[in-house]
Amino acid sequence: MSQLPAETDLPEQTQLGAVGLAIQARSPSRLAWARLRRDRVAIASALVIAAIVLVALLAPLIADLLGHHPDQTDQVHGLSPEGLPRGPSWAHPFGTDSLGRDVLIRVIYAARISMLAGVVASTTAVVVGVVVGLFAGYVGGVVDNFLSRMMDVILSFPFLLFGIALVSIVGPSLGVVIGVIAFFSWASVGRIVRGQTISLKEREYVEAARSIGASGVRIMFSEILPNLVAPVLVYLTLLIPSSIVFEATLSFLGLGVVPPTPTWGNMLAESLGFYQVAWWYVLFPAAALLTTTLAFNLLGDSVRDAFDPRGERLFRR
Amino acid sequence: MSRRDLHQRVSIQKGRRPVWLAALVTAVALATVGLASAGVKHSARANTPTKGGTLVMLGASDIFNLDTTSGYYTVTSMIERAFTRQLVSYPTVASFLAQIQLKPDIATSVPTAANGGVTGGGKTYTFHIKPGVKWDTQPARQVTASDFVREFKMVCNPASPTGAPGYYETTIVGMDAYCKGFAKVKGTAAAISAYVNGHKLAGVVAKNDLTLVFHLTSAAPDFNNILAMGFSSARPVEYMKYVPDSAQFRQHTISDGPYKIVKYVPGKEFEFDRNPAWDPKTDSLRHAYVDHMKVTEGLTQDTVQQQLQAGTGDMDWDVTPPAQNIPGLIASKDNRLVIGPSGPYYVALNTYLPLNEYAGPFKNKLVRQAAEYAVNKNAIVQIFGGPKIAAPANQVVLPGNVGYIKNYNPYPNNNGNGDPAKSKALLKQAGFPNGVSIKLLYQTTDPSPRVAQSLQASLQAGGFKVKLVPATASDFYGKYMLVTSTAQKEAWDTAIPGWIPDWFGNNGRSVIQPLFTHPGPGSSDYSGYNSPVTNKLVDNALTAETPAAAASAWQKANAQIMRDAAVVPVEFQKFTAYHSSRVQGCVFWFFDINCDPTNIWLKG
Repeated sequence: MSQLPAETDLPEQTQLGAVGLAIQARSPSRLAWARLRRDRVAIASALVIAAIVLVALLAPLIADLLGHHPDQTDQVHGLSPEGLPRGPSWAHPFGTDSLGRDVLIRVIYAARISMLAGVVASTTAVVVGVVVGLFAGYVGGVVDNFLSRMMDVILSFPFLLFGIALVSIVGPSLGVVIGVIAFFSWASVGRIVRGQTISLKEREYVEAARSIGASGVRIMFSEILPNLVAPVLVYLTLLIPSSIVFEATLSFLGLGVVPPTPTWGNMLAESLGFYQVAWWYVLFPAAALLTTTLAFNLLGDSVRDAFDPRGERLFRR
Repeated sequence: MSRRDLHQRVSIQKGRRPVWLAALVTAVALATVGLASAGVKHSARANTPTKGGTLVMLGASDIFNLDTTSGYYTVTSMIERAFTRQLVSYPTVASFLAQIQLKPDIATSVPTAANGGVTGGGKTYTFHIKPGVKWDTQPARQVTASDFVREFKMVCNPASPTGAPGYYETTIVGMDAYCKGFAKVKGTAAAISAYVNGHKLAGVVAKNDLTLVFHLTSAAPDFNNILAMGFSSARPVEYMKYVPDSAQFRQHTISDGPYKIVKYVPGKEFEFDRNPAWDPKTDSLRHAYVDHMKVTEGLTQDTVQQQLQAGTGDMDWDVTPPAQNIPGLIASKDNRLVIGPSGPYYVALNTYLPLNEYAGPFKNKLVRQAAEYAVNKNAIVQIFGGPKIAAPANQVVLPGNVGYIKNYNPYPNNNGNGDPAKSKALLKQAGFPNGVSIKLLYQTTDPSPRVAQSLQASLQAGGFKVKLVPATASDFYGKYMLVTSTAQKEAWDTAIPGWIPDWFGNNGRSVIQPLFTHPGPGSSDYSGYNSPVTNKLVDNALTAETPAAAASAWQKANAQIMRDAAVVPVEFQKFTAYHSSRVQGCVFWFFDINCDPTNIWLKG
């Protein structure tokens, strides 16, 4: 995980003479932001993500514009006379699926589910992880032992198998999928936060706060937490794509969102039986999933490097 | 199935002939061989059966039961054709109507009233056993009437009983009481033998070694069909040493058919060799061309399909061509795809919607009838592969069977497209002007999810609000359909099961009786339909003295079930199988819904 900004970035203030330019003090966050803004890869990824979010939000509008709706089966016109999906055409830019539905609009609607599942599950995991990690790291002792062991147990579960079992018992739905993803993801966030907290609680400003009588909770959330923003933010941007893929995996296995609601995962599951006759049905959901995941991963990479430019990068700035 | 009969024989005459003619003949012969092995669109030229070769069957899983008393799976029927024989059986011929007519197997003839085999007002059946039908024992031993008595006494054994006890308990004198007593016996070989030896079964009598007599409780015009089931095979005395269908039993099977099992590794493979004790002169139903058969399990449906197309395997074992491949195979006119039966006949009522009458909106007949109008049956036909594979169903009896009513459609639905307006009108009449919510249960294995989504679309157009409830294949029947409490708790309002009759022709006992009478736990009457009118009609049909007398009763029962809208029949279906290009003479055989391995030969 990335380190805190180096000591050399502590604020300084000088005054120039005649020219009268004031040099503003820059906090680590502002420095990071400045680096991020200069990073072409980050900008590109952010734009792609913004585009996906925009398209997902405007999905109903797009459906009206295209004249196709995601659940609108059309076995008469949407399929060839032999009953096979139709390829890309002006009427259906991404072709049709096995029930004659438009693949383009289904990919767009699937983006909503995937983004929702990814973002909500990751955010929940991070919130829970931060709280538990802070608590465990700061309080220490028996509480720390207990919480750490609990996190270890969760981390050692074979998450896919357990996820499948849980969904089989409870029944598939979007809520269950989000819950399963969040349940397995918070523990790694918690461990990292706990580690950071343990090192941070020895800092002078924490001692100072304690000596003037601040309560434990106040110290945790006002003194330590702001310094965790960097690693947590990075982890969040990297957790979102893996949550999206996890959701796609569960849907692929038939245990995620129930049809006819499209998700990239269940579209891929159905398309694999038709790959010999309908390449478009495999390609477009897979490309959408890949693009989204890649954009989030690259953005996360860039955010991490903005906070810590000494680390290794995939693409040079 | 399209069977291309392209005869092209290169004849070589004796005597002198110019060299160039020999060269031409050779060239043509080579070209023929080359074309024949090119695969897909060219079938092998010569079609005279050749003996020899090893038939390789590929599939996913093992059979459930190997003992004839409990084997109730089309795959088991396929191998039972190879290593067991019954009194009567079905011929492997191309015409479906001819295929469903019983022919004698171990018996010398099929008993009828006309030939004196059926007497006593339809209650006594007498069979004569062909001399020369032998067990593969050391030395080979004649199959006798007592071997059949033994099997009928073992049909309801407590260790591995038949899955269709009703066929026997409601027809054979003394069977009901015998089975009730047998159910209490411990499942050990000793206890079973003691019970069998200590109790007589009055309805099955071996008058002498080669004469067998059945006494029935009432006339049963389809009794001969019951005798064609695997449960009615002959059983050698050596089997009494083992617990039926135990692992030990499975390693010690004795054959009276053309092949015998020489290797069986559970979950992995079977191997069959020729049975030296089998005399082809006693067997007009099986030709047994191939020398060996090998079954390999543990593959997936897609892998099997690829191997059959490539030619590294010969036949499907327990999988069918993947549903999504079928339209492509039909479009490319692949003649290795077997679609059967031929003609306007079908093997299965493969999709029908039981309407939950225990709880929920379908208790109301108007709501049930609305569903009858709403469903777009043509769309479902298309999912299964189009009109070559399936046809919309508007009644519960399959075409060609007793009880089928020609041109009958009590709920006219725009030629199978569905009539959403009529459905909405009926729902309004029933008190649901704004629609009604229902749960549709489906299996997660393809093509069930697609069928479910298509049904959802047409039902929603008809005013229903449909929520899809997925279930795995094993849960679908084991947790939901066969468990009445889930219906009573309204875990589902309708579902998508299928049904294949055990025989065809006069088969109401195998369709209407199990599906529409006697609801309860474990019953196939999933929806709880129980009409006294229908029950009486079914009783009349089952005890009619002749098939003709049964026909009218079955037709009335069929119409009554449709008037009551107990289920929405959706489509009748043919079945598909696939074989490699070296398999010849494959005729779709309804009993195993595949080729008949005892009647195909291999080329090249």
